[in-house]
Amino acid sequence: MRIVVCAKQVLDPDAVNNYALVGKLEIGEDGRSLTQASIPRLMNAYDEQAIEAALRLRDEGKDLSLTVVTLGDDVDDMLKHAAALGADEIARVDVDPSTLDHNGIACILAAYIGSIGGADLVLCGRQASDDDQGLVPGMLAELLKAPLITIARAVDAGDGSVKVVRVTPDGDETVEADFPAIVTISNELGEARYPTMKAKMQARKREPSVVTVESLDLPSDELGRKAVLIRQYVPELLGNCEMIEGGSAAEQAAALVGKLRGENII
Amino acid sequence: MSTVYVCTWNAAGNAAGGGLSDVDTEALTLARKVAADMGAELRLAAVGGVCEQAIADAGRFGVAAIDAIESPQLDSGAEVSCELLLEAIEQWFGGAGARLLLLNQSFDARTIAPRLARRLRAGIIMNGVDLEASSDMIPDTEHEGDQDHIRVTTTAFGGDTRREYALTGAEVFIVCLSDNACEPAPAAEATQPAVNKVAVDLAAVSDRVRVVQRPAAVTGAKLEDAQVIVAGGRGLGESGNFRLVEELAEALGGVAGASRPIVDEGWTDSSHQVGLTGKITKPTLYIAAGISGASQHMVGCCAARNIVAINTDPDAAIFKHARFGIVGNCLELLPELTRAVKG
Repeated sequence: MRIVVCAKQVLDPDAVNNYALVGKLEIGEDGRSLTQASIPRLMNAYDEQAIEAALRLRDEGKDLSLTVVTLGDDVDDMLKHAAALGADEIARVDVDPSTLDHNGIACILAAYIGSIGGADLVLCGRQASDDDQGLVPGMLAELLKAPLITIARAVDAGDGSVKVVRVTPDGDETVEADFPAIVTISNELGEARYPTMKAKMQARKREPSVVTVESLDLPSDELGRKAVLIRQYVPELLGNCEMIEGGSAAEQAAALVGKLRGENII
Repeated sequence: MSTVYVCTWNAAGNAAGGGLSDVDTEALTLARKVAADMGAELRLAAVGGVCEQAIADAGRFGVAAIDAIESPQLDSGAEVSCELLLEAIEQWFGGAGARLLLLNQSFDARTIAPRLARRLRAGIIMNGVDLEASSDMIPDTEHEGDQDHIRVTTTAFGGDTRREYALTGAEVFIVCLSDNACEPAPAAEATQPAVNKVAVDLAAVSDRVRVVQRPAAVTGAKLEDAQVIVAGGRGLGESGNFRLVEELAEALGGVAGASRPIVDEGWTDSSHQVGLTGKITKPTLYIAAGISGASQHMVGCCAARNIVAINTDPDAAIFKHARFGIVGNCLELLPELTRAVKG
């Protein structure tokens, strides 16, 4: 079976969080980009878990080929990481993703998947940790006319169909669909593995296939943006926390409960 | 006149005879504002029909008319799949002529909205917390010449940043609104919305996603509805200490919550997870024990009326959000709090 994982390079969300907390997150002159060179760029963690889901199928002895595809020009390190993890094919579509909206990205990914002869299973992270939008998988499902299964914690596939355990607000739900299918992976899948040192060394020599947008022959009106990022900022926090200080834990607890009761909060 | 629609599939009423939920009235509050900006009419699209109470609620929030989208397959009682909802909305939309469609970003809406956007060729954005009609210039893009657009504020980086997106260059736009995006505010003058029944034909819809096993029936109170939540994080130290959180929650008549890291560690199951990829809550009291207050967590609890923070690190971000704070070890404080509440 052929599995394609769609991966996005993002700014390390932990680093962004740390800068934001101390009020030192810098926004570029355009008013919307995060510009600190010291923030590492890495693969969206949910996408890494999508690769992990594919690798677990391979661990179980399933015969599969794994392609990891992304958009952009400065993404080779991320793709080599995917190769070190076990991707048989790594590819990038040579386009600046910041000139596209989610629809344009989905159209390009769908056309790429078509250009390699389709996929049995497309695995995506549930959302990207930078914009948190989670739009691309659903759009891909429409473009590829494939069923969409979201928020997976476990994926089993083979013999022409996929069986997925989804994490829903009401608890786990098990569903299945025939190939080709799109599945989005959630953090409940568990931690992604690390590549071995040997695999890392070997992956250094791997070069991604580079695909131009022109070669994908997309209708031009599909690439125009209908959602345009125009501004980004750090929301202000008005801290006015009343600290309960001094005394033993029991005294602090009693003081807190007293205050909560005094204000009819409990 | 153009139209702004709020679309819901929870207005048909249930055994309790309930009307519109908070998330729908939040959406109506923002929709009324943006409809006024645009000189548009505010309407409600109710997939599966609309009950008397929901009609009255819609009137209080200034809805001019309601499209009740009906089909035997949508009758309440049965599980209605995303596939049916999507097809119903698409068919209804063909005759509705909406300019802007607002959805509450429920679990199912996250699955439906991106697919609907493709089908309607709509511009779409998720995680909306505010929106307005704008005629400001859209800077340095291919849309520089276009002025009139819908400007949507969203959260990004798990809440670390806010973003503003311009929706432009399409006939129709979809915005999914985060839970607790605003306080529901009724209209200055209530309306008496007319109900237009719209029949859709869903007989031919076949769901390619087959349900093998549905979730077991939920027991106990839901985090989303809880008035008191006691939540634990890594500061609990180890798995067995989650019971300290549960004990205080029980003493307060509340529900136990958890941060994502301890759910990932398996200290409790993901039904307790509060935050970006968990539950979005709105309690009167939220006690965060051993939780640092990462934005991804705060997304799920920042609408709490009162946050109490307990953390050993005086610089933890959680204190910036808190009403009351104690710098201390939650393993000592949680049992003392349980005792003080019971005493």
